[in-house]
Amino acid sequence: MHLKFPMTLMALMIGATGMTTAQAYEGDWKRGRVYYRGVCTTCHTAQGSSPISPNARTMDEWSAYLKADKHAGGKDTVSQYVGKAYRDSIKESNKAAEKYADVPDEELMEDVRVFLLKGAKDGDSPASCS
Amino acid sequence: MNTQRFRRRTFLPLFFILGAILQVPATAGAATTEAPPAKSVKMNSTADHTKYEELQQPFASGPEVTKACLKCHTEAAGQIHRTKHWTWEFLNPENGQRLGKKNVLNNFCIAISQNYSFCTGCHIGYGWKDKDFDFTSEVNVDCLACHDTTGSYRKPAGNAGNPVVGEPMEMPPGSGKMVKPVDLTKVARKVGKTSRDNCGNCHFYGGGGDGVKHGDMDSSLAAPDRELDVHMDATGLDFTCGTCHKTSSHDVPGSRYMPTAKEKHGAYIRGKGEKVNPATCQACHGNTPHKSPILLKTARMNTHAEKMACQVCHIPAFARGGVATKMSWDWSTAGQKGADGKHMVKKDATGHVVYDTRKGDFVLGHDVVPEYRWFNGDIKYTLLGDKVEKSANPTPINRIDGSPDDGRSMIWPMKVMRGVQPFDPVNKTLVMPHVAGNDDLGYWKNLEWEKAIADGMQNVNAPFSGKVDFIKTEMYWPITHMVAPKEKVVACAECHAADSRLKGLPGIYMPGYSANGWLDILGWLAALTALLGVLIHGAVRITLSLRKAG
Repeated sequence: MHLKFPMTLMALMIGATGMTTAQAYEGDWKRGRVYYRGVCTTCHTAQGSSPISPNARTMDEWSAYLKADKHAGGKDTVSQYVGKAYRDSIKESNKAAEKYADVPDEELMEDVRVFLLKGAKDGDSPASCS
Repeated sequence: MNTQRFRRRTFLPLFFILGAILQVPATAGAATTEAPPAKSVKMNSTADHTKYEELQQPFASGPEVTKACLKCHTEAAGQIHRTKHWTWEFLNPENGQRLGKKNVLNNFCIAISQNYSFCTGCHIGYGWKDKDFDFTSEVNVDCLACHDTTGSYRKPAGNAGNPVVGEPMEMPPGSGKMVKPVDLTKVARKVGKTSRDNCGNCHFYGGGGDGVKHGDMDSSLAAPDRELDVHMDATGLDFTCGTCHKTSSHDVPGSRYMPTAKEKHGAYIRGKGEKVNPATCQACHGNTPHKSPILLKTARMNTHAEKMACQVCHIPAFARGGVATKMSWDWSTAGQKGADGKHMVKKDATGHVVYDTRKGDFVLGHDVVPEYRWFNGDIKYTLLGDKVEKSANPTPINRIDGSPDDGRSMIWPMKVMRGVQPFDPVNKTLVMPHVAGNDDLGYWKNLEWEKAIADGMQNVNAPFSGKVDFIKTEMYWPITHMVAPKEKVVACAECHAADSRLKGLPGIYMPGYSANGWLDILGWLAALTALLGVLIHGAVRITLSLRKAG
C-alpha cells in the first residue's frame, strides 16, 4: 500500500514530462544536418561503404526507415548511433558528437529526422552528403 | 494478488495519460509558488513568431507576409530601401562610378538588362520583372529571403523574385520540372536570425549555379568543417556571415565594390572607429596577429602581414569544399547544336558541364591556387558606354589598382575569371544581351546575338550598331573566404622557392625565389669565412689554454 502512491506519482510525472517534451520540441534541421554529415556520413565513408545522401530516398522511405529503427539490415538500430552512449564513445575523435554530447537522445533523433525529410528526394530542399 | 496486478496494469497507464493532461494546469499552478520553475524559452531570439496574432493567417503572396511583418517592424522596410541589397546600386565615392548589379557588366551572364525575372530571384524584393520596378514599395521588400529558418523558402529564377505559392509551377515552362510551392504561413511563423543558409541561397549560387562566380563561396560553406573554414566550422566556432559582416540597420558591410585592401585601424574596438570595416581579418585579429613562443618567428610573420593580406597564407586554395567554380566562359562558341539539331550539353569526366549550346564553353576548377596581385582597394569597372579595344590583351571588366610602393597596397589572392563575350565592334563598347527567358528575343531561346543584344541595349537606352564580335575579358574577385586552419596554411617553401606562388609579382625580394647567383656565392663565402674564423679562433684558444695548463 505504501508503494502505490509513489508509483502513481511517478507515473503522473513521467507522463507529464514525456508529453511536455513531445509537445515542445520541434526538430532543428541544421543540427540534424551537422550530426548526419559529421557522424553518419563520416562513419560510412571511413568504413568504405558509400554514404547515403538524404536525396537518395523519398520522405516516405526515410520515415519508414527511421520508424523501423533498423541499421545495417537489422544488425543494430539507428537510434543507437544517435544516442548519448554512442556519442560519448566517439566524441574524442568526432567533433559533431562532441558538440552535441549533451543533447537528449529524442531531440537529436528528431533533428536528424527533420533534416532527412527536408533533404529527401521529394523534400523541400533535396540535399547531398556534403 | 491478481487484483493488485490488474489494478496496476489498468490504472498506471491511465495515470500516465492523466499526468499528461494535467500538465498545463499543474505548470500554471506552480507559478503561484515561491520558486516557480523556469519555463521553456527560445534562447536564440526574444520573440516566438508562432505566437503572433498577425501571423495566424494564410498568406497567398510574399507582399502579404511583409505587410504583417511591418505591423511590428515598422522601420525595417525603410532601412532596407537604403541598402545595396535592395537598390542593386552603389555610388563609388572615390571615382564617382555608379556600380551595383543594376549597372555593372560581368563575364558570366553579363548583365541584368532584360534578364530581370531571372536575376531578381536573388533580389530581396518581390516582382522586379522589368526596369519599371517600384523601389519605393514597402510591401515588396522580401523579409523571408533573409529571415527564413525552415530552409524551405525558395525564389526560382524566372519568377521575378517571387516564390511559388499555391500550386506547383513548371519552371522553366515546357521543361517538365515542377517547383514545389512554399508554405508562406509556416515560413512566416518561423522567421529568425539570418544564417549562412539565407545568405548562401544567393551568394553561394552567384553566376547561375553553385560556386560558379566567387570561387570562395559555395554551398559547402552552409555547414563546413574546420578544414574548409576555421571560422564557420559548424562543429566549432560556427560563425554566420553576420559574425564578420556585422550588420546595422539592415545594412551589411564588406562590399566588394569598395573593399578594404589594407586595414590600418587594427582591431575593432567598441565605441571607436565606427567607420572601420568590421569584415576584415584585422577587425578581430589586429595588425600584429601572430604569436609564437619563438620571438623571431613572431616578428617574421608579423612583418609578412605588413605587406601581404592574411588571405595570402591562410587561404591556400579556393573552391576547396568539393564544389567546382567557373574559371573561364567563352560565349563565342555558343550556338552549336547536336547532330539531332537540338541544343546540347557536354560534360567532363567528373560530370561538370563544359559546353552548353546556349552558353558556350566553360572551364571549371576546384582546389584552385589563387593568382596574386598588389591591390590597394581601388577598383574601376568597365561600364556600358566605356570604349574597349579588341586586342590580344583582355579587357578588364574591373581594373584593380595597386603597386609595391604606393604605401596602400597589399598582396592579395585573386580569382581571375576569364571570358570571351560579345561586344559592339562599331561603337566599341561591351553589350548587355537579353539572354534568359522563353521568348523569341532571348539568346537562350533563339540563339541570335543581334536580336538579343538589340533588345538588351534598347532597354537601357544604349546605342547598338547591329554588329557583333567577341572580345576577351577578365574580372578580378578578391579571395577572402574558406580560411584554412593554421596547420594548413601556405607553407614558406611555396613562396620562397624558384617556382614561387608569387612568381612575377613586381617589387619584392624573396629569399629562395629572388636568388641571384653571385649574391648567393658571396653570402655563402661570407658565412663560410665566419665559420672558419670561429673554428680557428676556438682552436687557438684551446691550444693556448692547454699549453698554459701543461
